[in-house]
This record gives sequence, C-alpha cells and structure tokens, in this order.
Amino acid sequence: MTNSIAEIEDSRCIFVIGSNTTECHPLIARRIYRGKEKGAKLIVADPRKIQLGRFADIAVNHRLGSDVALLNGIMHVIVKNGWQAKEFIEKRTEGYEELERTVSEYTPQRVSAITGVDPGKIERIAELYALNRPASLLYAMGITQHSTGVDNVKSCCNLALLCGNLAVQGGGVNPLRGQNNVQGACDMGGLPNVFPGYQSVNDPGSNEKFSKAWGRKLSDRVGYTITEMVPAMEEGRLKALYVIGENPKLSDPDWKHLDAAIRRLDLLVVQELFLSETAQIADVVFPAASVAEREGTFTNSERRCMRFRKAVEPMGNALPDWEIIMKLSNAMGYPMSYESAKAVFNEMSALTPSYAGMSYERLGLDGLTWPCPEPSHPGTPYLYKERFLRVNGKAKFHGIAYLDPAELPDEEYPYFLTTGRMFAHYHTGTMTRVSPHLDAEQVGGYVEIHPADARDLNITEGDIVVLSSRRGRMEAPARLTHTVEPGVFFLPIHFGENPANVLTNPAFDPIAKIPEFKVSAVKAEKLREP
Amino acid sequence: MHDDVKNQVKEMLNQDVVDLFLAYRMMDGHPLPFAFSRENIEEVEDLVTGPARYPLEKLALEILKIHPEATLGILARECDQRALNVLSTWNQLEAGRVKTIRLSCCPSNLKEHSDCSYLEPHVSGSCKTELGFEFGAKTEDLEALAPERRFSRWMYEFEKCIKCYGCRNICPVCFCRECSLEHPDLIGTGPLPPEVPLFHLVRAVHMAGRCIDCGLCEDACPAEIPLRLLYGKVNEIVKEVFGYETGTSPGQSPFQVLGTEMMPEPL
Amino acid sequence: MNCRIVPSICSYCGTGCGVLFLVVDGRLMGTLPMKTHPVNEGKLCIKGWNLHEYVNSFIRLKSPLLKKDGRFRKCTWEEAIGFTADRLRSIVREHGPDSVGVLVSAKMSNEENYLAQKFARVVIGTNNVDHCARL
Repeated sequence: MTNSIAEIEDSRCIFVIGSNTTECHPLIARRIYRGKEKGAKLIVADPRKIQLGRFADIAVNHRLGSDVALLNGIMHVIVKNGWQAKEFIEKRTEGYEELERTVSEYTPQRVSAITGVDPGKIERIAELYALNRPASLLYAMGITQHSTGVDNVKSCCNLALLCGNLAVQGGGVNPLRGQNNVQGACDMGGLPNVFPGYQSVNDPGSNEKFSKAWGRKLSDRVGYTITEMVPAMEEGRLKALYVIGENPKLSDPDWKHLDAAIRRLDLLVVQELFLSETAQIADVVFPAASVAEREGTFTNSERRCMRFRKAVEPMGNALPDWEIIMKLSNAMGYPMSYESAKAVFNEMSALTPSYAGMSYERLGLDGLTWPCPEPSHPGTPYLYKERFLRVNGKAKFHGIAYLDPAELPDEEYPYFLTTGRMFAHYHTGTMTRVSPHLDAEQVGGYVEIHPADARDLNITEGDIVVLSSRRGRMEAPARLTHTVEPGVFFLPIHFGENPANVLTNPAFDPIAKIPEFKVSAVKAEKLREP
Repeated sequence: MHDDVKNQVKEMLNQDVVDLFLAYRMMDGHPLPFAFSRENIEEVEDLVTGPARYPLEKLALEILKIHPEATLGILARECDQRALNVLSTWNQLEAGRVKTIRLSCCPSNLKEHSDCSYLEPHVSGSCKTELGFEFGAKTEDLEALAPERRFSRWMYEFEKCIKCYGCRNICPVCFCRECSLEHPDLIGTGPLPPEVPLFHLVRAVHMAGRCIDCGLCEDACPAEIPLRLLYGKVNEIVKEVFGYETGTSPGQSPFQVLGTEMMPEPL
Repeated sequence: MNCRIVPSICSYCGTGCGVLFLVVDGRLMGTLPMKTHPVNEGKLCIKGWNLHEYVNSFIRLKSPLLKKDGRFRKCTWEEAIGFTADRLRSIVREHGPDSVGVLVSAKMSNEENYLAQKFARVVIGTNNVDHCARL
C-alpha cells in the first residue's frame, strides 16, 4: 500500500476494485465503513455482488477480466470533462499524452460493450472519483490474478496519477496483501531477481555488497519464478525443491500438471505445520513452529514491520523455521550461529536500507512503517511525498490497451469460472480447516451458481455439480445465489477435495508471472446418480 | 489512587488471599491485561488501572477452568463487578473464588458517568447519522422515530456485520458451551452478512437478564453496530416486566423461573 | 499456576492485527484483540479471534518425517537434516546449484525469509527463490 490503513478513513472517496474486503480483509473493511460513515463516497467494482456493494454510492459488476477497459473508460470521462489534476500531472508525472491518446478510444459506449456496465454508471464513477479528493483506490487479487495483471495494476496507477491521488494523505494505490507477510517476504528478497531491499542480483554493486557480507561469490543469474519452476521440473532442469510453509499443490494453477511435475523431482523437502497436500508427497518433512511458538517480525500491507512474541513452547519436536534453516546450513558446511531472531534481524537491517533504522527496541508494540532509513526516522505512512522512485523523480503514465482474458467462454465451455476466498477460511485451508470454530462455518467446498443458470442446468441447491475445463474436472455441491451474475460460477480455493486449481488456467502474466486464477471457461452438469 | 491499589494488591498476594491478581500493566506504552503473582511481586509496581478495559472476569473464568481450586483477584470497575454478579447468579462462578479491588468509573446507563477515561465519546459521521444510529444514541431517541425508519436504520447497521462473533467472544457474561449463533437450524452458514436481522436478534434475546451494559461488545465490533442500544432495549423490557436490574438486583434472574434444569451446568 | 498474556500479530491475512494470547500453565487458551493496537484498535475478524485453534490442533506435525518405500516414518532432527543435506549436496554436485529451488513463504517471519533466501543464494548458490505472492 502506498498509504496507511488508518488513512482510508481520511479519504473523500474510496474506490474498491477486485477486493471482497469484508470477507478477505475485514479489518480494512472497517476503515472503509468508517470512511464512508464520515461522508466519503464509496465506489465498488467487482464481478460479484459483494457485501461492500450494499453501502456503495455506486456499485458495478463488470465482466470478469475487463478491468483495464473499465478503468480506461473512467479515465476517458475524466479527461473529456477536464477533471484531471493538471498541476500534479505537469509537476510530478510524464507520459500524459500517451495516456490521453489511449483512453480517448475508450468511450463509455465502447467500454459498456466490453464490461457490461451501463455507460451512465461509468460517467458517475468518473465524477465521484475525480471530484472527491483525496481518493483512495484499494485492490486485491481481483486485479492481479489475471494474464493482464500488470496492465490492471498500471491502469489503477494511471487513474490515481490522473487525479493527483498519489503522494497525498488519504489517497493512494493500495493493494491489500493476502498473506500476513507477503510484503515482508518480498522485502526480504524472497524473489528470484532481488536481494533484500529490492537490490538486484544482477546489479554489480548489489551483488558485490551481498557477496562480501555473506562471504561467498553469489550468482548474478536471475532465478526461476514459481510459475517457471513447473516446466523446469518437467524438463528435468530442477531436481530438488525445498518448500517452506507453502502448499503449491493446492495454490498453483493446473493441479494435474503440477502434480506430475513435482513427482519428477529427485528430492522434495517440505517444512510445514501440517501434513499438507504438498507435504504428503515429500521425501522429508520438517515440523515447523507456529506463530505463537516463536518470535520474529511480520510486515503488513501498509509496510508496518511489527514484532510477534513467543507465547508457548513449540509442539512436540517442532522448531522455529529460522532454527531449521540454520541446522541445514550448518550441516551443509556454511556455519550459521544466530542466538535469536533478533540477531538475524540486526544482520538483515544492516543490509536493507528501508529497514536500516529499525531495531527490536524501536519496534515496540506499534511497529514502524518503511522506509525507515535511520534510527531517528519516524517511519513513512505514505510514499512518494517528495519524489517518485524513478531516476527523474517523476511518475510515468502508461497507455494500456485492453486485452481479453486468455480464455473466454465458448460453445464447448460456456461458463465463466472465477475463484476466491470466503470469510471463515484462508488460502489452502491448512490452518483454518483444523480450527473448530472456522470449520463449523463452512465444512466443505461449494460452487456458487446463479439461480437462472441452475434452472437451465436442472440443478437445485446442494446438488453435486460436475465442472470441467480444458485442464480437468472436479465436483462440488451447488450453492444457488444472486451473488454471482448469470453465466459466472465462483469456487472458493480452500478445499482440497474440491480443488479449484484442477480447472483454472495456467496462463500467466508475462511480466509478473501471476496465473489467471480469476478467469477461466468451464462447462457444468449435474452429477448423475450411479 | 494507583499507590493505594498497588499496596492492596501486594497485601492480597503476600497474605495468600489470592493466587493471582488480574489488572493492567504498561508494556511499550500500551496498557495490557496482566496477571500479577506472589513470585514476581515487584511487578506490581508497574500496575496501572487503565485506561484499557478488557474482560478480566472472562480471563478469570478461563484460569478457573484449569485451576478450579484457585482464588483470583480482579481489579473491578463497576461493570466488572456487575459481570461477576451475573456470573455467580448463573452458577458460573463459585462464591469466594474471585476477590475484587473496586474502582468506580462507570459510564453505563445503569450508573451516571464518572471517570472511565477509556470511553471517550465517538463523533458520528454524516452518513452514520443519516443511515444508521449515532454513537451514544438512547432508546428514547429511537422511539421518537417512525417504526419503518427505525427498522431501516437497524437493517443498515446489521448489514455491515462481518460475523466475527466478537460481540459474543468479548462478552464477560457469554458462557454457554453451545451457542445459538452457531446452531445451523437457527442461523444459516455461508455468505456475509449473516442472516439479517436474525443473527443479531437471536443474540439480543439471549442478552435478556444477562447484559450488564459494559460496552465491550460495541467496542469490539469492527462494523460499529450499536449493540449497547440493542441490548439496552432488551434489558429495559426485563426491568419493566420483571422489575429486575441485571447485574445489580440480588437473587435469581427472572429467566431462571423455568426451573433448575434450564440452568447451565456449573463449571 | 502461571498465567501470561502475550502480545502478538495475527498470522492470517496481510492486515496485521494486534492480538493477545492468553497462556495458562504453558497452554494457549485463547486470543483477544489488542485494544490499543494501531491497526485493529481492539477488533478482530472470525479468523483472528480463533487464531489459537490451529496452533493447538492435534494434527500438527510433531516430528520430522522421512519417506521410505513410499511411507513416512518418524525420525530425529539429526537424521532428517543429515539426509537432506547429503541429498542436496549430491544434487548440486551433479546438476549444479540452479537445479535446486527454494520456495519461501509469506507465512514466515522477515528473519526467516531473510535466512531462507540467504540459504538458497549462499549455501546452494542459486537465485531460484520465490514465494506465493502471486497465488
């Protein structure tokens, strides 16, 4: 998030796109409620009728994967009416002409034909967003999990820049992070191209800095992303995989494909709390300690680094992840001898400029938001106050043309399928399905179907539906609901026995390598009694 | 006042009057609930009485589940004291298991506001005032509204619910082992919000003769639903019909007239 | 009799709510929202309120496991670490460091992510490090 969570309350307009916030980020939804109740305008754009839409000044259900068209249409209206932030654009951005050229082609009528959203509503969204500043834009996986994920994100940024809603309190482009430490995992260099603090592995200066600090010459070749690891396994280029706290068997697109690829590995090591779907096919399993059984820091969506503390001893022989990695490293001849998580933190912060001013003492119970470059720095609630992170300090507009999702419904597979979370469960369900109170809320998987489609398919509530796509086939009980539009099915991703990723399309964004979980094409029929 | 409380706590611990004393302690600038013990009596120097408010009596019940023979001390504001009264009325707390050091600071309708610094009045935004209920609204304010206006405002508030069960989880007098809110025949599972208005009305009914108007539920509600207002209305009816003031009237609750088999089992 | 209330951070979504764990005699008994936390200000969602439940789950892994003839058997840390180190060493020797991948996790701490990528880059010698930010 460019801006802090609390700032959402200060916005004059809150635009939520591709985020079912009340179910997936409930305590951020609270800030939206509060902002709205203080008088902010609320715009909700989501292919499903989500709870937040009930409170919106305007809520639209745009067709799956049509986000770029919708956002371009909004910008078209803003430019046509001269509502853009001219001074901001001039002083702090470049490439505006390119954007104007692109969006000029996206008239509300044309956009309406792509998105299914009434042209009048597109005009109304533009008016609310442009004329109530500062405006905060919030998004989640509904924007990113597309083969055009990067285009979608850039379009969100274009809109915010166009109205001068970046580098201002209460504004921002605010991706809501799905997992507690996604932000931290990225910050710490859990990516194939960067060291901690986003210092490139192939930048000679950075490479030398880390080679020196860690006492070994490091590779400057960018590694595989998770999406690229699958073909590498299939082709025998990747022989061993060490999986820590992840369950790719249930979280990756195209389960069958991945399963076959993983089985070709010579060695699969899984470090986990539970015997997850992935751990079951491992050669070695390391039992890890849970959040209550160890200490460390997490960095949340708003870049706030916070300490968690040990409350109880690890269960059985489980060990904190950092101790396991240390053991393995020592066994492989590279000695590591950290006394505590704090010692690791100190080494990390010395090498990571945005964390350099942090220490366990300073973090206390409130934490600090990065960048925090020095011990006297108070942390940074919102970014880019003085300049953007480009050489000339200016933000760049990108003219983005709309592209269809990689797969659209056709005669053979006539329905859209989208996937996501439900409020009581989390990701692949390894943690929530063993929690009695959460399990009670939703015991098993289901597929959301609009009653009109159910009628066509002769399906009633609770019937087992067979869904198939070009990748595979699975079954789930039907839940009839008006939450989805006719022609669209929704599957929650938490349930291994009804795995959505048997069906989803492994097409991915060419830059971010994020798979298109949000859009695929399926057919459906009622399961015939044997 | 702090020193006085600290001395009393030390005395209770040193003289074995209680095994643990539950109050608050500052940690990195945050007042957190804390269990003081004889073994670490020096920690009592860091005891604070506020401004935080947690359901200490609920923590006490959790400890007593494991150590039924223990005696616990609690720093008791008036709301804590009312909660303890209700818990013993409903057989959840054996007499003498909890000793209190009392503080007077009650902003509840049951007593005039005195000095609880925690409940600073919230300011209601324009939209909340227009569509829902203002913070601190009274039942009289509601009754001045036409029934359909009142209804639509309640519906607005209930539709915000994210089903966290925080109202129940934080409630010092919610102790049932099986909760109606999780009974699939009463409340459907599935999407959010939970069945409107059933979810909240079921809880409201169960608060009759139990709610002690401490305000912790409203405080824990991510959607800022005016729960005190709702339960306050329920208890007004209890008072009108039975002449019973929950948490302060001595003796049995009017909801125990159905016989002892209706009583929850003692812990 | 020992009772502690330990501040922590919820480990579900990326909001990062402040929680308090109630610990009695070394057992995790419950989760409360931290009232004065800057992120959640004393409120939690259903997952946060039940954070202690997965920690206490009886199906947690309690011992390292090694698979032999298609079946897991419990083993000591020395065996599990020794086996893994040997296998990794011989794979690196035979196929080079880029034949190994490490998936780090959005569930691990900053410290652990730092160490895991350091392990991949220094001990193995590869930049094949990723996590599921995309998933």
